[in-house]
Amino acid sequence: MKLEGGQISPGQIIFLVISFCLGPILLKSVALEAGHANWLAILLGLAGGLLIALLFTSLSIRFPGRTLVEFNEIIYGPLLGKVISLTYLFYFFLLPTLTLRLFGDYLTGLIFPQTPMVVIISLIVLVSASAVRNGIEVIARCSQVLLPITIILLFLAAIFSIPHMKFNRFFPIFEVPVAEFLRVSLFTSTFPFGQSIAFLMILAFIGIDSKKVKMARVSVMIGLIGVGLILNLLVLRNRGLLGATQFIEVYTSHQALGLIDVGGVLTRLEIVVTINFLSMGFIAISLLYYNTALGMAQILKLRTYLPLVLPIGILMICTSITQFENVFEYQHFSGDITPLFALPLQIGIPILSLIICKIRDLPKKE
Amino acid sequence: MKIFFLLAIFSGIVIFEAPGLIYRKYWKELIVFFLFLGFAFTISLLAVLGVPLPSPAKGIETVVNFIIKLITGK
Repeated sequence: MKLEGGQISPGQIIFLVISFCLGPILLKSVALEAGHANWLAILLGLAGGLLIALLFTSLSIRFPGRTLVEFNEIIYGPLLGKVISLTYLFYFFLLPTLTLRLFGDYLTGLIFPQTPMVVIISLIVLVSASAVRNGIEVIARCSQVLLPITIILLFLAAIFSIPHMKFNRFFPIFEVPVAEFLRVSLFTSTFPFGQSIAFLMILAFIGIDSKKVKMARVSVMIGLIGVGLILNLLVLRNRGLLGATQFIEVYTSHQALGLIDVGGVLTRLEIVVTINFLSMGFIAISLLYYNTALGMAQILKLRTYLPLVLPIGILMICTSITQFENVFEYQHFSGDITPLFALPLQIGIPILSLIICKIRDLPKKE
Repeated sequence: MKIFFLLAIFSGIVIFEAPGLIYRKYWKELIVFFLFLGFAFTISLLAVLGVPLPSPAKGIETVVNFIIKLITGK
């Protein structure tokens, strides 16, 4: 029984991975706790993210054409499988609410100060709901259109910011203890790189051709490496432009691009950040929203996931608005708590699944 | 006024989704749809009325802190 007739190619997976991982992080420099070594922490996090990707893609290679929910029921049995799938779905539900909240805080704080947050969040969810109802192919094509624009804008912004950079802002490199550095790297590998575990639901739409499934693993890897490089460009740009002030800014990229001035003509470039964040965040939210709706329909064994889309969207709006009182609570949760919550889902359960698959010799051939 | 808007939005969703499901005789899907929509309606009604809702973030934070305490003993 297929809930979704769409099919995507391994090439589209690269686009999806990059836009999905970039979505929630374009606004700020990541891994700032590592001080001036945060570009190094990102590279180390990328290595960890690639290991996570190796883990979960080996699951998808074992079960081609099946989503996370379907093979969890094969591995763990109907009851426990459903419980584990529900945990994952909760995670997939929680991540977009965080991104939505970031949208709300950012747009109401800096761009539309008079607009209520619920209006902005509802509009984004409405657009995402329309993408989700149209299926995975539409989301994939959206990312194919939006990602090149984003990358071109990022590169242009980086080039324009070179005259404003000061080289001594990149030093000293190691001012934090090694343990703290490793902790930040681990957190970076769970977010943004490790959240690509959501692709366990998407890789099923590659098809059951084993060659294509193996290519999909390479695509996920290429996508993650691309994310790492773009992220490094981003944090080095912000560092060069802002220097030490970046540690006190909430929306680092926004502040950094505001400093760019090309001949008095190209100024106030922070709107570029908004455009990038809106387009990439839309993909990230749609993808996770799609995962939640589709996974819920598969757990309940429905024949279509469409009736679940709008109710889940409304729940997302309510959760994202009510779960935090201010932007600092949000930052504490997304920075310190979510990685710990995500670690067992991204590393523990996939390893356990692989071990059980080895012992029980799954999937059995019929 | 707010509650009226909420009712209008939710009845709009029902008018949008339900006829197609009834036409295709997807009864199970219809029941699940109404369950989810009812849940969403309750939550949003409470949010509109200003009732403080339990935040999943706080719950996760408590669980994570508890597990860290178990592991590190601090």
